[in-house]
Amino acid sequence: MSTVIEVSGLSKRFGKVVALDDVSFSVGENKICGLLGRNGAGKTTLMQLLTGQQFATSGTIEIFGRSPVETASVLERICFIKESQTYPEDFSVKHVFTSAPWFFSGWDASFAEQLIDDFRIPTNRRVKKLSRGQLSAVGVVVGLASRAPLTFFDEPYLGLDAVARQTFYDRLLEDYAKHPRTVILSTHLIDEVSNLLEHVIVLDQGRVIIDGAADDVRSSATTVVGPRGAVDAFVGDRAALSRQGVGGLASVTIHALTSDERHAAGDAGLELSPVSLQQLIIHRTNSSSREFEQSA
Amino acid sequence: MDAMRPIFIQIAQRIENDILSGALLEETQVPSTNEFAGFYRINPATAGKGVNLLVDAGILYKKRGIGMFVADGALARIRANRREQFRDEFVRPLLAEAAGLGISRAQLADMILSDTNKEEGVA
Amino acid sequence: MTIDARARRPATSGALTRIVNVARLHLTQKGPLLVLPWLILGFILLVNLLIWWILASALPPADRVDAADSMQFSGASTFIFVYMLVVAVQAINATFPFALGYGVTRRDFYLGSSLTFVLLSLYYSLGMTLLAELERATGGWGLGVAMFDVVFFDADTPLQRFALFLLAFLFFFFVGAATAAVYVRWRSRGMLVFFAALALIAVGLAWLATDTGSWPLIGGWFTENGALGVAVWSLVPSTAAAVAGLVLIRGATPRT
Repeated sequence: MSTVIEVSGLSKRFGKVVALDDVSFSVGENKICGLLGRNGAGKTTLMQLLTGQQFATSGTIEIFGRSPVETASVLERICFIKESQTYPEDFSVKHVFTSAPWFFSGWDASFAEQLIDDFRIPTNRRVKKLSRGQLSAVGVVVGLASRAPLTFFDEPYLGLDAVARQTFYDRLLEDYAKHPRTVILSTHLIDEVSNLLEHVIVLDQGRVIIDGAADDVRSSATTVVGPRGAVDAFVGDRAALSRQGVGGLASVTIHALTSDERHAAGDAGLELSPVSLQQLIIHRTNSSSREFEQSA
Repeated sequence: MDAMRPIFIQIAQRIENDILSGALLEETQVPSTNEFAGFYRINPATAGKGVNLLVDAGILYKKRGIGMFVADGALARIRANRREQFRDEFVRPLLAEAAGLGISRAQLADMILSDTNKEEGVA
Repeated sequence: MTIDARARRPATSGALTRIVNVARLHLTQKGPLLVLPWLILGFILLVNLLIWWILASALPPADRVDAADSMQFSGASTFIFVYMLVVAVQAINATFPFALGYGVTRRDFYLGSSLTFVLLSLYYSLGMTLLAELERATGGWGLGVAMFDVVFFDADTPLQRFALFLLAFLFFFFVGAATAAVYVRWRSRGMLVFFAALALIAVGLAWLATDTGSWPLIGGWFTENGALGVAVWSLVPSTAAAVAGLVLIRGATPRT
C-alpha cells in the first residue's frame, strides 16, 4: 500500500511560539485518519503545512511523493475544508458550487445536489448571510463532492446539529466506500467519529503522542475498578494513565490486558471497563490525577 | 456483546449471532463489507477485518465477483466454538457473582432448574 | 457520452487551464465587476448633464463659452480608475485564502488574477474609448460636456485614446494588486510600513528634485514624451508592481 502523507522532523514556529515540534508520521492511501487533540495542539497548523498553505520552519513533508508547497500536481489532488473558510466578497452559495468543479476534476455535481438537499442549504443566499451551521454545511458539501484524493476536514461541523452531523458521517462512509480516498478529519467530537477512523494521530502541545491503527488505539487501555487494596494489588507496577478514587474505591486506567490478565482481574473481584478513544485522549493529554473526597 | 473487545471482533460476533439465530442461512449471501460499515457506522476497513476473521474461521467464504456467503456447516462450527467459550464467558462470571452474593452452588442449581421450567428473567 | 468523457478529464490539468480557472473564479460574480461601474458612470454623467443644463439655462449666452471650458474636465471618469484599484485589492485579498483551499498554487492564483486584470483593462479601455467617441460625435452629449474624452492629453486617434486608457487601467490594477499583496503577506503592520516607506520615498524624491534644481528637467521630460510617451513609461512601474505582487504573494500565508 502506498503512502500519501510522509512527514519527518517537522517543526513550525511562529516567532517564539512552537506550534509543532519535531513531528513525524505517515498516512497510507485511502484511509480515514483522525487528527485529534485539544485546542491549540497544532492540528490546524499541521494541516496548513500539509496543504502547502504554511511554510515549515524545519523538517520535510511529502504529499504524493512531493513537497506540497507550490506544487500544482500535488495541490490539485487536495481539498482543504477549513473551519474558518473565507469566501470572496459577496459570493452566494450558488457561486461556490459553480466554481468548485473548475478546481476538482473528480467533482460529482449530482452528489453535490443530493448533499445540498440533505443539509437544506439555501443556494441563493449570500455566504455572509448563512448561519454558522449552514456555512459548515457548505464546506462539508464541497469536501465530499470534490472527491479529492486527499481531503482535509478541519472541524468541519461547527454549528451543525446532531442530525446534520450524522448525515455527514453517513454520506462520508457511503461515498468513501464507493470512491476510496484519503480523508484527514480533525475534530473535538472524538467519540462521534471514533468508529469511522482507521488511523488515529493525536497531537498534544505540538507533538505526536499517539499514532496508530484506530483498532489498536481504541483497545490500548482499560480501566480497573474495585476496592482500593485489590486494585492497587492488581495494578502493581503497571504504568497508570490515570488514577481516581472515592472512599475505599479506586479506578485506575492502565494499558490493555491479555485475556489471562482479564480473568485474573475478574477472579480478584475487579471490574474492567473499556476506555473510549475520547477518554484515552483525555487521560493522555491531561496527566493530573484526581482523588475525590468522601462526602458524608 | 463484549464492549471490551475491538470493534472488528464485535462485528464478527454480530454476524455469527445472525447465523445462530437463523437470520443468515447457510449458502446465502451476507451484506458486503461496505454495507456492514454503513449499517454499523464504522470504517469499512474495520468491518472488513471482522468479515475476514470469519472467512479465516471458515464461516464465510468469498464467491469471486459476487460477494460473501455463509459457508456450509457454519452454524455447527459457530455452535461448537461458542460452547467452548461458554464456560469462560458465562459460567465463571456467574459463579463469581453468586459467590459474592453468598448464593451456594445448590441454590444456584435450583435457580437454573426452576428457571428453565418457569419463563422468568434472572436478575 | 461526450459530456461524460469531458467530466472525467485527467486529474492533472495544464498550467494554462489552472490559470484560466482562477480568472473564471474572479469573474464568477459578473455584476460588480462588469456592470456596476458602467451604471455608476452613467449616473455621474446624468448628474453632470443635469448640472450643466441648469447652469446653461441660467447663464446668459455670452458666458456659456467660459462655463463650457470649466466643464471640460469634471474628474468624473477618474472614479473608474480608483474603482479598479479597489477591485484589484479586493480580488487579491478576499480570494487568496479561498483559492488556496481549492488547491491552487500561489503562482497560479497570481497569474490568474493578473489575467483577470488584463482582461478587465481591455474591457474598460474599449468601453471608455467607445464612450469618448460617442461623446465627440454628439458634441459632448449635445451640451459640450467632456467626461470621457481625454482632454488634457494629446491623443489624436481613437487608437491612441484606447492605448492611454489601457495603460492607465493596467497601472491602477497592478498597483492595487501589489498593495493587496503587501497586505496579504504582512497584514496591517505591512501596510503601515508600506505607506510610510512610500511617503518617505515620495518626499525624498521631491526634496532631491528641489535640491538639485531638476524640476524643470522633469517638466521637460513630461512635455518631451507627450501623454502617450508618459503613459508608455507607466509600464515600468506597472510591471514593477506586477512582479513585486508575484514575489510577495509567493511567500504569503492565509490568515488563520
